[in-house]
Amino acid sequence: MKTLMLSTAIALAAGSAGAQELTLQLKWVTQAQFAGYYVAKDKGFYEEEGLDVTILPGGPDIAPTQVLAGGGADVIVEWMPAALAAREKGLPLVNIAQPFKASGMMLTCLKESGITDPKTDFKGKTLGVWFSGNEYPFLSWMSQLGLSTEGGPDGVTVLKQGFNVDPLLQKQAACISTMTYNEYGQVLDAGIAPDDLVTFKYEDQGVATLEDGLYVLESTLEDDAMVTDLVKFVRASMKGWKYAEETPEEAAQIVLDNDETGAQTLDHQVRMVTEIGKLTAGSNGTLDEADYQRTVDTLMAGGSDPVISKAPEGAFNHIITDRAFD
Amino acid sequence: MSALPVIALWLGALALNTWLSGFDTRATRLAVALIFGATILILWEMIVRIYAIPPVILPAPSQIGASFAANTAILWTDFVQTILKGALTGWLIGALAAVLTAIVIDRSPFLQRGLLPIGNFVAALPIVGIAPILVMWFGFDWQSKAAVVVVMVFFPILVNMVAGLAATDPMQRDLMATWAAPYGASLWKLRLPAAMPFLFNGLKITTTLALIGAIVAEFFGSPTKGMGFRSSTAVGRLDLPLVWGEILVAAIAGSLFYGIVALIEKKVTFWHPSQRRQRG
Repeated sequence: MKTLMLSTAIALAAGSAGAQELTLQLKWVTQAQFAGYYVAKDKGFYEEEGLDVTILPGGPDIAPTQVLAGGGADVIVEWMPAALAAREKGLPLVNIAQPFKASGMMLTCLKESGITDPKTDFKGKTLGVWFSGNEYPFLSWMSQLGLSTEGGPDGVTVLKQGFNVDPLLQKQAACISTMTYNEYGQVLDAGIAPDDLVTFKYEDQGVATLEDGLYVLESTLEDDAMVTDLVKFVRASMKGWKYAEETPEEAAQIVLDNDETGAQTLDHQVRMVTEIGKLTAGSNGTLDEADYQRTVDTLMAGGSDPVISKAPEGAFNHIITDRAFD
Repeated sequence: MSALPVIALWLGALALNTWLSGFDTRATRLAVALIFGATILILWEMIVRIYAIPPVILPAPSQIGASFAANTAILWTDFVQTILKGALTGWLIGALAAVLTAIVIDRSPFLQRGLLPIGNFVAALPIVGIAPILVMWFGFDWQSKAAVVVVMVFFPILVNMVAGLAATDPMQRDLMATWAAPYGASLWKLRLPAAMPFLFNGLKITTTLALIGAIVAEFFGSPTKGMGFRSSTAVGRLDLPLVWGEILVAAIAGSLFYGIVALIEKKVTFWHPSQRRQRG
């Protein structure tokens, strides 16, 4: 409390000149997947740190990496595979914090498709996959299983899944990509019983990659003032995340208040916040290097077509989290 | 300071073209266009290099060219999938349906009052609304893209064709009547030929619509090939030169498509005043 008052006092002293502005680009639309940031904003955690944070929702046509490269944001929420691939493409992204400990990604299959074991049963099947940077974990997994993604009897046929679960409901695909906290619930909402589904979590298959980390450009970390702001930002964001874990209902309502599209419902967001809480629970914001290494190994195990061709260097930096949580 | 060569080149090319346009011959007309295009490309290359613009924002023409050359196999597969299978099939089906519907509407005032408003309604449907539904109905492959194109091109051709069928003078129709021409003969010999300029107007407008429709429809579910699929996924992979390669393919295909239709129009409506050439 004392530090809080102190930092508020400092913020007020400095704040007369206006709070430090910071722009965060989300990976997807406003939803409980980003509850921590919305909670931190609405509960005043950013304000206490003397920050004025603008949260930009993403969407199917927004690539956060591109927004960052174009100067449209200071910090982005991105999945590590896409970030590392972008880094290899010459965009120097650096992970500064990792609020998500676990991956929420899974393949959800209809039981009637007869798939029980990924090692033997995917052959000749059609699988729905998201692209725009989300395809990397899937491609790594398939290459580890030794399956071609070009179709045919010995490979799998990949269809580019839209941002819905229709291909499974229409039986256009045997399995589709789902997140534990979002699309899986949509499948259940569509009236398919959990007993009629088989799910394969990437975590359980040993091919999980880190999701929803915070990334900035390398050049940002050379600017001392920006580093100070990012330290405050990460500290306040993690406070928001822990608050969301403890009070899912309130967090869901905060997300709903921030959703300008009006597309989300409270029930759905409460469920999402609860599922997201399971993924953030194991992290205080600091990137676990073992998790990082596992992600890199998964991506490099891509056989003939690895997502990244060489082990990245300098792709993460503890400077922010070290200063935020000491 | 570094802007000097850019400005100098631009002014130089401008002066050259201004001087060339003084001679109005076929060769200079072509040269003016070529110099203009080349200048744009050279300036683009210079600006990207001088100001070190990251390729993620805008790749240089040389990078795009290199990516185009390196990915010809991918670009060809995408071209066949999106343009030949999706856009062209949809455009042909849509055009045929629109022409037949126009003839039916033309015969019956009742349908004219009923069908045209419905056509209007369909024309106003946003592609982002119908594309996912059609993907659901027709599956992920090119068939659903063709269906989107049919919906997009149908109405502009229909409206043009209906206007075209009404384009004859009462005097001409009376003349057919005095020869006791049945409906079919008067349609075939008088009204369809008279409608051709209108029809081709609709066909030319819809060539580009068909391309856009087929490409955008792929955003809503597709197999792992096609120009829309590639563009949207390559952006996610920050492979912007490949995206521009696809844009280049779309531009070339669109120009060719339009050009071919315009050429056929020239042959079919040679009698129309708009086709008379001035001798230059």
